[in-house]
Amino acid sequence: MEGCMKERKRVYPMEPWKIMQPSFAAKYVGYLVPALTNIGKRASPSVDRCIDTEKIVRYEIDMALALSAEGFAWSHALKHKLRPNVDNHNHAGKSQSYLAHDDDHRNTMPVNHEPATKKLKVDTKRSETEAAEEERLTYLRKLIPGGSGEMMVDDEILLIELGSYVSCLELQVNVLRSMLQFN
Amino acid sequence: MLHRLESLESCNYNGMDVAVLERQAARLKWQQQNYVVQNNNLVELCASSMPQFQGLSGSNLGSGQMVQLKRPEVFLGSGDFQEFVNFPVAGAEFGDSEKLDLVPPEAAADYCISRTSSCQMTALNTSVMKEEREDMVLEKMESTTGSGRESFNKRKPEAVADHKGKNKRIKGEGESEVKTKCSTEISRNSSKENSKASEVQKLDYIHVRARRGQATDSHSLAERARREKISMKMKCLQDLVPGCNKITGKAGMLDEIINYVQSLQRQVEFLSMKIAALNSSVENLPMKEFPAYVANFPAAAKLPAMAGLPYFQLNPLQKESVNCMLNESMLPPQTATEGIASASVSISEQSLSSSSMTQLQPFSTWNMDPQCLYNMYNMGFH
Repeated sequence: MEGCMKERKRVYPMEPWKIMQPSFAAKYVGYLVPALTNIGKRASPSVDRCIDTEKIVRYEIDMALALSAEGFAWSHALKHKLRPNVDNHNHAGKSQSYLAHDDDHRNTMPVNHEPATKKLKVDTKRSETEAAEEERLTYLRKLIPGGSGEMMVDDEILLIELGSYVSCLELQVNVLRSMLQFN
Repeated sequence: MLHRLESLESCNYNGMDVAVLERQAARLKWQQQNYVVQNNNLVELCASSMPQFQGLSGSNLGSGQMVQLKRPEVFLGSGDFQEFVNFPVAGAEFGDSEKLDLVPPEAAADYCISRTSSCQMTALNTSVMKEEREDMVLEKMESTTGSGRESFNKRKPEAVADHKGKNKRIKGEGESEVKTKCSTEISRNSSKENSKASEVQKLDYIHVRARRGQATDSHSLAERARREKISMKMKCLQDLVPGCNKITGKAGMLDEIINYVQSLQRQVEFLSMKIAALNSSVENLPMKEFPAYVANFPAAAKLPAMAGLPYFQLNPLQKESVNCMLNESMLPPQTATEGIASASVSISEQSLSSSSMTQLQPFSTWNMDPQCLYNMYNMGFH
């Protein structure tokens, strides 16, 4: 990885997420724990509470991820997806819609390759492997929040964002595991 | 000879200057080794290539030599103005009948130098976009040389070989493009010329080489540069995703990345469900101690960054640290968590900045057993 950084002439390193890694865990916990505490305090002894709690917790987890990893396109998109109108009142509703949207395409690989992009039309020499790569890239766009947006149309940017997203996901999983371990 | 000059003049000089003049320069140099040039023709050539020299148009064009088109080459001289300086001398050696009273050769030389240098710079900046003109120029050149066409192609590699020795970067780039273009257009002597394309030196701006047998239009060049950047980033991603070292090929890598991202997202979902279940069933008091627990987290946070460490290695670490914390913590939970959480940030930053084990100094200020933490870090780094 240091080789990648040396080759480039840019001032900032190629993997900006390496800079934010140390503070990610602290930020994440700093956000999530109070949020979870608040959820517990907002107890309402209704039957649906379990399901709602799950969704709220999921919402808070994703929100913590988005807030702990500032400066990336995917975190920005995630924040907007969770908080489209800045106001946070209807947590349950938003989390429901957010989760519903995710579950649809999470586990399904697209059967048909999406309509040929401009690149495929122009360059007639693209082989089957390249078409397969395109397919995977479009699938990756669905996985990463904001991947289909205008910020990540470029493949290079998509790959950079992927790197930061993967590392932040790993950190998030570690934090969550440790929280559960402790309990 | 006259018709050749006229056709040359009719060309679009702005576009063709570099291509034509370069080729002519190459051929002139070759010719200079076998002197055939005469003074009249030199003057005429000067007039033909530099339309500003209109005063010379009245000179005698009668003596038809095949070298007239090569004359402007000397002005280019691949940046080697020594060649150019020699030229008036050479001219003077020959034909003495006509007098260059209109424009002295030195002045012409100077003017030509400035003009060609500017031509070279402009051509350099827009070389990629002038392929169509070069095509046209090439065709015209072929038509103008007429009988000299075969000789044009034969002489070209040798002239190019001479130019290669000159070693001007600006010149080299244009030549390589012209050469590769020539090969694709004419499809003759392609192997020799294309192999020379690899010798082109790099310029200040991003320079993508035109490799053998590949097109040199701006689209494919940009495409190639883009593909190389993407492959570089894929390699960096390979370091991030565990178990990708053996996989070659973009599609396989992307598959692995997709699988990994999906698995991580599923883990997050599963863990969130567990936390929600925990949240609903247990009291919230233990929640306050989470930051304290996560204070030992910097080691765990670093682990994913290191390749090949599976998750299950975290469990013994966490258990040990949990034990340490529970045993040693005597302060009220809230303040302890705050103090430890803040310390953890500084420690994690330090430890990430340098991976040496000497970063454990701050631990001594903690309220915990430093030995316990030292062991944890040892395990984390192995």
